[in-house]
Amino acid sequence: MAEDLLVDPEALRAQVRGKYREVAVDPGASFHFHTGRDLARRLGYDAAAVGTLPDRAVESFAGVGNPFSLRPLAPGEKVVDVGSGAGFDSFIAAGQVGPRGQVVGVDMTPEMLAKSRHTAEALGLAHAEFREGLAEALPVEDDWADVVISNGVINLCADKQAVFAEIRRVLRPGGRLQFADIANGRPVPVAAMRDIDLWTG
Amino acid sequence: MLQDSGFIGVEIGEAVDTFGGAKGEDNARAFEVYGYAFMAHRST
Repeated sequence: MAEDLLVDPEALRAQVRGKYREVAVDPGASFHFHTGRDLARRLGYDAAAVGTLPDRAVESFAGVGNPFSLRPLAPGEKVVDVGSGAGFDSFIAAGQVGPRGQVVGVDMTPEMLAKSRHTAEALGLAHAEFREGLAEALPVEDDWADVVISNGVINLCADKQAVFAEIRRVLRPGGRLQFADIANGRPVPVAAMRDIDLWTG
Repeated sequence: MLQDSGFIGVEIGEAVDTFGGAKGEDNARAFEVYGYAFMAHRST
């Protein structure tokens, strides 16, 4: 593990996979965060856009903000969703960019990938696909994306600098990063930051 | 960190009470944790 990282990246990934596997297969369970349609309302998502999506596209949503709130995506844009989960933000993005655009969701949790792929197929979304991969090693070619989105994922990565470098690699020059994440107003003790159990609640 | 990674024009949205009413609310309140939207552009 790099000396400047607070936790071991692979141990943290295992913890995150375990937590989000639960969110994928049992979204009605009780978590330390909100999920689903209630969360989408709380975060200010467009009600009409969310209303068009089936429950399975929304129920495992566990974001922390709204990456579309500062600027909607434009028709025809190519989008990468880092940590796409069960696909909620990717499906919102697919609606905004339309069939001339493309959306690539990337996630490391098999149960989330299976769910997002099944939903995309059920919705007939030919311009949304989901690939297995890590935020630090995105399975996307250099300079491909007009926009990278992400929601509540980067705070769960041990090496944030590596994630931002990878996002920069897949964005075209001048492309946009639109993400939502948490930030704390009071300092968290270093001992707590080194406690991997606290990273996922 | 965004600027160090080659991004410019960073914008930050309003704070959202992401954890209000959830089981994680107490921890969130203790450290003033909120959700934010961020936007930045890749430098050319």
